[in-house]
Amino acid sequence: MTGTAERLHMAGIVKRFPGTVALDGVELSVRPGEVHCLLGENGAGKSTLMKILAGSYQPEEGTILLDGQPFRPATPHAGLAAGIAVIYQELDLLPDLTVAQNLLLGRAPHLGPFVRHGRRARLAREALDRVGATFPVTARVRDLPIAAQQLTAIAKALTADARVIVMDEPSATLGESELTAVFEVIRSLTAEGRSVIFISHRMDEVMEIGDRATVLRDGRTAGVFDLASTGPDEIVAAMIGEAGELVSATDRAAPGGEPLLSVERVHVPGLLDVRGIEVRPGEVVGLAGLGGAGRTTLLRALFGDLKAQVVARLDGRPLKVAGPAAAVRAGLALVPESRKEQGLMLGLSVSRNAAISALGRPPWVLPGRLGRRLTSPALADLGVKAAGPGQLVGQLSGGNQQKVVLAKWITRGGIRVLLLDEPTRGLDVGAKADLYRQVRHLADQGVAVLLASSELNELTANADRIQVLYEGRNVARFDPRVSPESVIAHTVITGAAP
Amino acid sequence: MTASLGSTVASTGQERGARARRGADLIVKSNLLLVFLALCVVATLLAPQFLTGRNIANLLQQSSLTGIVAIGMTMVVLTAGIDLSVGSVAAFGGMTVALLMGSGVPVLPAILLSMVAGAAFGAIMGGMSAYLSLPSFMTTLAGLTAVRGLTYLLTDGKPAESGGPEGFQLLGGGFIGYVPIVGIIFVAITVLAALVLRGTTFGEYVYAVGSNKEAARLSGLPVRGVITTVFAVSGALAALAGVLLTSRLTVGQPTAFNGLELDAIAAVVLGGTNLFGGRGGVFGTFVAVLLLSVLRNLCNLLGLGSFFQMVVTGLILLVALVLNMLIERRGARA
Repeated sequence: MTGTAERLHMAGIVKRFPGTVALDGVELSVRPGEVHCLLGENGAGKSTLMKILAGSYQPEEGTILLDGQPFRPATPHAGLAAGIAVIYQELDLLPDLTVAQNLLLGRAPHLGPFVRHGRRARLAREALDRVGATFPVTARVRDLPIAAQQLTAIAKALTADARVIVMDEPSATLGESELTAVFEVIRSLTAEGRSVIFISHRMDEVMEIGDRATVLRDGRTAGVFDLASTGPDEIVAAMIGEAGELVSATDRAAPGGEPLLSVERVHVPGLLDVRGIEVRPGEVVGLAGLGGAGRTTLLRALFGDLKAQVVARLDGRPLKVAGPAAAVRAGLALVPESRKEQGLMLGLSVSRNAAISALGRPPWVLPGRLGRRLTSPALADLGVKAAGPGQLVGQLSGGNQQKVVLAKWITRGGIRVLLLDEPTRGLDVGAKADLYRQVRHLADQGVAVLLASSELNELTANADRIQVLYEGRNVARFDPRVSPESVIAHTVITGAAP
Repeated sequence: MTASLGSTVASTGQERGARARRGADLIVKSNLLLVFLALCVVATLLAPQFLTGRNIANLLQQSSLTGIVAIGMTMVVLTAGIDLSVGSVAAFGGMTVALLMGSGVPVLPAILLSMVAGAAFGAIMGGMSAYLSLPSFMTTLAGLTAVRGLTYLLTDGKPAESGGPEGFQLLGGGFIGYVPIVGIIFVAITVLAALVLRGTTFGEYVYAVGSNKEAARLSGLPVRGVITTVFAVSGALAALAGVLLTSRLTVGQPTAFNGLELDAIAAVVLGGTNLFGGRGGVFGTFVAVLLLSVLRNLCNLLGLGSFFQMVVTGLILLVALVLNMLIERRGARA
């Protein structure tokens, strides 16, 4: 690797967030005309690194050279101006505008106050042709299939004459044939000498499109590989690392007895087809899988929050759940994926949030006083740190907010099955450990726990058994006391049972 | 930092934030009350006849019907909905009570039937909004037109003689001393609504749904039922307002209450209830109704025409909104 031949060189990048170091001296170098894959497990630091490159985040330490010139974008606008185009997973297109309007948003050719429609259409057409798209520029983005939207986003990125194009998991939303089209575009881009940074979880894609790959692990560069001479196993091994430090929490006896929750089949056409998951009282069953593997869908289906065919038994009796209210009555409790949007009423107080599910029975009056009395044991047990029960829940830290969601279910009482969806997202290490202690405490009281997480080490440390979901199916089952984390991780990434 | 809820020790930063917010809330609430009192003082100084028993009685008489409707509207707005149909439903209630009594139905059943009809209209519009995920703005806009049309169809647009007993006329037009009976009803409904909102599980659900519908749903709350119910309450109260007007006029007027929804919404907003739901209450609405009414009364006493009144009312609303926004921003920073 000669320095002058590099399009992009990032060295010693350090980025800290309160309570955690996201990047700890990352190196990344990309050559002109190269498809460079950026790999790593969830939380390895890929997104953070790309946000630094794009100018969304400022690193604490490190240098960036773009075509040999020092480069430190202070804003996404500066990044774009320097030729860094990022295509995010959630495409930043305006769905109700046409393709042409989107492509030249804010830069439409005009004559005085009038938009020159013909010229705009021509410019847009040229941009679409460059990515080989054949749909009309007058189409509304909302009406286009997702692949066409993706192509529009790519075309938009190209109108800014990008030197480096970052594609963040484009395949997550694309089908096979659509992906082929995107790959065509990528090849033609690199043929023009542009560099593409390609982020993906899928090894087969990486092997097909990539020239080289940089693997990130725990905020460090774990290796750089020439994909022509490296096998996927070697790369997966680098992503997983030494699966040594298994946290010792798993040396308890596996709970025995009849399963409390026994899921025969959960089927959502086209999305999910899971069979045969059982959870005994006191047991924590982990759901592992990549983003989009179906963990959230499974939990929502069980909770009656989306249309699904659910064949399941709770305590031997058929579980029929018409909606969340019925699920709660049946003894199910959900800690949803997004605590701010789905878990909490941020504008209401701590005690009102924690009490809300417990009020659905007599005496029906004085909810304030009742709520304070009902919730104070749970809030105290969980160690919720707040100025008082009257503090607005929106002012608490993430960990304390999540505890309030738990307190809501504990206060209600009668939980048989606890469904946790990414409960530790955005929490610092101490808050995570604290939360898992509380979950374990609930399990010890006989609650059956289904725990979905993208943090495999959290699952191996806290679950009694782990089910791996891959593209909507549960493909393997592991006992974390027996199976090393690396083996489970391999299945999570490839979908192949060992 | 380690003060848990079990203890009384508090982390100072968070407490200060909470206290500032409480302070801000208090300012918003008492602000309105202060403005109201100041306005009363100004009115007394400018127009000596303002603070006479007769004038105050009139004032209460005039504002009570809008007030009753605004209380129902407050509950709807607290769930982040809006009810544009209240004017039409009120007219319908006023007509049905007149027609029912005209055809020999006793007073009490006639009133109850009218209110049930209003509640049914509300439940249909609210239910469609809740169960079909339609914006209540649209379902009640449709209701505004359709129910008004129905009201005209009842008598082909002609007024209906109520012909009820004298006791019925007292309900809408009677006084106990200087106090109008409709005023007593308005106050009673306000107190009742406040008790329901602050003192019952249902009230708690109203705030929860308005604060975050998704979280309320995933907490197992009967979100759709709550939304349907508040619209039914709003419809019933609108019909009651219609009944009271018919009682006072002794005829049902199909054209009555045009534009009532805007007066009610204005009072709700001026009263500090957040249009996006979850925050506010009926006491703010109560004070706001009186404030708007005093303003109108003052303009009347000063001989300023209704055109002028409209301008002043609009300006007052704008000032109140800006004030609320400023205080809210301050609270968000704290």
